Amino acid sequence: MLSVFNSLRDVTLLSVLVRMLLAVLCGGAIGIEREYKRRPAGFRTHILICLGASMTTLTSQYLYLNMHYYTDMGRLGAQVIAGVGFIGAGTIIVTRRRRVKGLTTAAGLWVAAIVGLAAGAGFYEGAIFTTLLILLAELLLSKLEYRIMDSTPEVNVYMEYANRSCLESILQLLRDLSIKVTNLEITRSSESGKHNSCAIFTLQLNKRCTVNALLERMTTTEGVVSVEEL
Amino acid sequence: MLTCLDFLRQLNTGSVLLRLALAVLFGGLIGLEREHKRRPAGFRTYMLVCLGAALTMLLSQYEYVMLTTRWASVASELGIRTDVSRFGAQVINGIGFLGAGTIIVTGRQEVKGLTTAAGLWASACMGLAIGAGFYECVFLGFALIFLSIRLLPKIEDIVIEKARNMNIYVEFQSMDDVGEILNRVKAQNVQIYEVELDRGREEKFRNPSAVLYVRLTYKQPHTQILSAISELESVYTIEEI
Repeated sequence: MLSVFNSLRDVTLLSVLVRMLLAVLCGGAIGIEREYKRRPAGFRTHILICLGASMTTLTSQYLYLNMHYYTDMGRLGAQVIAGVGFIGAGTIIVTRRRRVKGLTTAAGLWVAAIVGLAAGAGFYEGAIFTTLLILLAELLLSKLEYRIMDSTPEVNVYMEYANRSCLESILQLLRDLSIKVTNLEITRSSESGKHNSCAIFTLQLNKRCTVNALLERMTTTEGVVSVEEL
Repeated sequence: MLTCLDFLRQLNTGSVLLRLALAVLFGGLIGLEREHKRRPAGFRTYMLVCLGAALTMLLSQYEYVMLTTRWASVASELGIRTDVSRFGAQVINGIGFLGAGTIIVTGRQEVKGLTTAAGLWASACMGLAIGAGFYECVFLGFALIFLSIRLLPKIEDIVIEKARNMNIYVEFQSMDDVGEILNRVKAQNVQIYEVELDRGREEKFRNPSAVLYVRLTYKQPHTQILSAISELESVYTIEEI
């Protein structure tokens, strides 16, 4: 353990101050990155969770070390792990396309709470290193994620078509080109027949077929009104 | 630690009164600030949560004190010791549930109420510290929570303004316009990485809508993109969420 922090290992006025400020800083650093990405849980949410968690471990250390009550020092902190899980669960949603969103947000909130626990307990090394690693992961991996998204052979194609048989011929076309359909969502036209039906395909392209060539072939299929790449 | 508070660290009528009053005061002040912004959980919610948390902690200390004084003979006979943080620990879990209830997903696939949940939860934690008589932590914690709620929204606004990711909600005339809208969005030098479409219902006067998750290729004002899309006649509503 780093000896610089040795004077702050006990619960004193100074160490309380340092720990809580550290919790705010760590929570803020994790939060501001999420906010920048426009995710639902942002700056304030992370700070509040991290700060709250740090107060629980501080309180249990105070009860044990300063007030000499008979207690299990880990008990308060242990419930943080469960309690913040519930709050995180609230951020997870299932979208209309049956996709699960908000998992990373929930996990981020939860890990911010754990960092808060470490900061409050005076485990400065753990709190600081974890925060740095989280930031590194978020910054580097999200870059990588966007890059993969750019070069991915997976494309989303939005198509409007006039009738059912057209959809079948499109599926036949995809089969002929040996393109795998990983997801297909059809939104049926309203009864009045005023609108065309639309479908959103998620396709896994192969090397033989480029996006543009595929779109062209889809457009020329009979009954297709329009094709768009998303 | 401040020695002048030593008398109030013990459990006696004065310190019980003081702690409960502190819980009402601090919980209430945080609640007032939230109520001011018309958030779902207001003055009374925060006050009650904070007061309850403080009382839980006081209760377990009371039992401990009783076990070491009045009930000492029974306790030594049965060999039971109570852990003072057992009650308090469940508060943390319980308020997590309460907070989860304030989180809602709007029709625009927006998650709301997270800050409220986090704030409630943090004030429950503060309530525990109040009940424990950990005054230093309480004053600091209150100041930090209050400042976070008060000052940080301004910083958040700046971050949002500079962000390269944008979530756009559009309402438009009919599903036939989707192609046109997507083309217009793409012409703004942005990468669309996800689209959520909702067909809407004519009989319920609900227009079709879409949520676009986009990433700007370079920094540019968000309003510029929004106004470019709103120029289309078929677009009824456009909003950044």
